[in-house]
Amino acid sequence: MKLRVAGTTYTGAVVDLRTGNVGGRTIATSIRGQRRFPVVSCPEPPAVYAYVGHVHPSMGLRTRTALAAAARSREYETPQDDAIAECRAQLAELESSPPELPDPVDPVPESTIDGLQEAVATHRGRLTARQAVGADDEAARAALRDAATELSERETRRTAARETRELRRERARAYRDTLEKQRRLADELANLRRSARATLVDRCAETFAQAIEAVPGPVPDSPFDADPVTAALGVLRVARTPAPVVLETDRFRSPTAASDCLDAPIVRC
Amino acid sequence: MLLVVTYSRAARRDLRNVCRAHEDCVVRQFGRAALFSGTEFGAFQALRLHEKHGLDIQIEHVEPFEPTDVPKHVREAAKRYEAREEPATPYERFASGRDLPDPDQLRGVDL
Repeated sequence: MKLRVAGTTYTGAVVDLRTGNVGGRTIATSIRGQRRFPVVSCPEPPAVYAYVGHVHPSMGLRTRTALAAAARSREYETPQDDAIAECRAQLAELESSPPELPDPVDPVPESTIDGLQEAVATHRGRLTARQAVGADDEAARAALRDAATELSERETRRTAARETRELRRERARAYRDTLEKQRRLADELANLRRSARATLVDRCAETFAQAIEAVPGPVPDSPFDADPVTAALGVLRVARTPAPVVLETDRFRSPTAASDCLDAPIVRC
Repeated sequence: MLLVVTYSRAARRDLRNVCRAHEDCVVRQFGRAALFSGTEFGAFQALRLHEKHGLDIQIEHVEPFEPTDVPKHVREAAKRYEAREEPATPYERFASGRDLPDPDQLRGVDL
């Protein structure tokens, strides 16, 4: 590794920064490529570094999850892997944003239409009556025409309102169908990942138990009951560790001893 | 009544909160859905959720239902099918040869 902190460049498999005042957390974040300074050049850390890339006394650890990640760093596979990839691909394809809906239109009440139909009939009756007696029918004709126009306008608006309503419902339903499908796939993915994790943990349990005995620290009754620091060290011994591990613990005699025990490059903070 | 269905975690959380705060307008609460009373206040609460969560909130009008609201042949079919002696018989086979509507016929008719 090559590490540049506060104007000094460090190289080699073991770097001791205990005299400096750079936090372990800062270095670990840089190693994972999540910040640019301090500049660290090293092989890319596998995902397990998110759990155990920085070992310090106040850390917490989901041991099984971390151990599964360690198994992945060793390129262990599980019977669920194909299904997991398939599920992920389907989910990626489903990513959808809410559709544009036409603005809602106030519905035209049936009573309005009924009233207008009645008016048209009344005006028509009046016109027929006037024509029958040979009276002047100009006003009656105009009244009928106005009522008929009004009716036709309202009917058009009613149809438009219905169509808009249908369109809004159709689009909303299609979108919600997608959300529903997404939810089912996400559930399925979570189940598959749980199974995969269990498979990986099973496969590494023996190695992990040996690792817990090999690393310095209290030996628990069951390897999975180890305190976070011991568990993290055990996980690191199981994992492939091409990138530097940041240690902020006094468990080891020296940084070199730590590097030997964990078979990893070490930055001691 | 109004059926309010949620389609996201955030919407579901807010539905739960509304149900807790306004029991008076909640007829029934299910996991990610609830039945609100058919009042302006029920609609107000449903629309608040809709304003906040958009299409992640679905609101439907729900009508009360009594068996007598559907045609007699449908009720009769359900009754006789549930009283069948052979539990494994699918409805389609059960209906054929009896004086009962076949399922496609039922599917094609709106209530």
